[in-house]
Amino acid sequence: MELNTWLPFGSFIISFVFATFIFRRYLERRGRHLLLWSIGMVFYGIGGFCEAHYGAFGWNALVFRLWYLFGAILVAAWLGQGTVYLLARRKWANWLTALLALGSLYGLVRVFGAELDPDLMTTSVHTGSELSGHAIVTSGVRMLTPMFNLYGTVALVGGAAWSAWIFWRKRILLHRTLGNLLIAVGAMLPAFGGAFSRAGTANALYIGEFLGAVLIFAGFLRATTPIKE
Amino acid sequence: MSDQDNHTPPKRQYPPLYEKLVPIALGIILALIIVLLLIIFGAALGLFPGSG
Repeated sequence: MELNTWLPFGSFIISFVFATFIFRRYLERRGRHLLLWSIGMVFYGIGGFCEAHYGAFGWNALVFRLWYLFGAILVAAWLGQGTVYLLARRKWANWLTALLALGSLYGLVRVFGAELDPDLMTTSVHTGSELSGHAIVTSGVRMLTPMFNLYGTVALVGGAAWSAWIFWRKRILLHRTLGNLLIAVGAMLPAFGGAFSRAGTANALYIGEFLGAVLIFAGFLRATTPIKE
Repeated sequence: MSDQDNHTPPKRQYPPLYEKLVPIALGIILALIIVLLLIIFGAALGLFPGSG
């Protein structure tokens, strides 16, 4: 199995294990942040599965559309929305969730209605070994990605870093400080992987996603497990 | 020593290693967030050939 298959397959497995873990915690404790994080990690896993499918079996239009919708557009925003529930007033968080759901439906319609050309993924501007939004021919669809990712990055990475800062300033709950630092770093890795991938580094996106899933999971476990004195 | 001094709570501290590492990590993360936001804005503005 090639690197561009097993790396995203690893991300898929980790994401679904993590999503199951968080969802079980949600069933025990409730808390909408847990529900949204588990949804976000399912999206992360779908993205990984589609990438692995492409690596193993090649082009498939349905798999590409699923990858672009869940893996490229929605994952960061839905994970970030979970963090919004921890940091913002419930009423605001609910409004933003409704807005995000509407935006996600719009994204679904645009992505599934887009014209595709897989030959465009293997042009000189991309590595050729990974899935890429280049395959989308219809204009305006790819513009959705940075908008959703901007919101997701600010909410997820900014929220985790902000929480770490608050705990560190008060010198309380060291496990949460460390956990949030890991989550912040892990959440940034797929975005940086994507940037390196665009610059032509083969498998950078998949490496970033795999390490990102590992670090976010590790950060969550660290943040939820108090350190013994 | 006065009574007041005796009742002053000691300043909370993390273990020494984390007292040094946490602010450094936060600084690096802040710098990376800024770089990341610039990349996202650049992608949104179409400055990178492969954005999206």
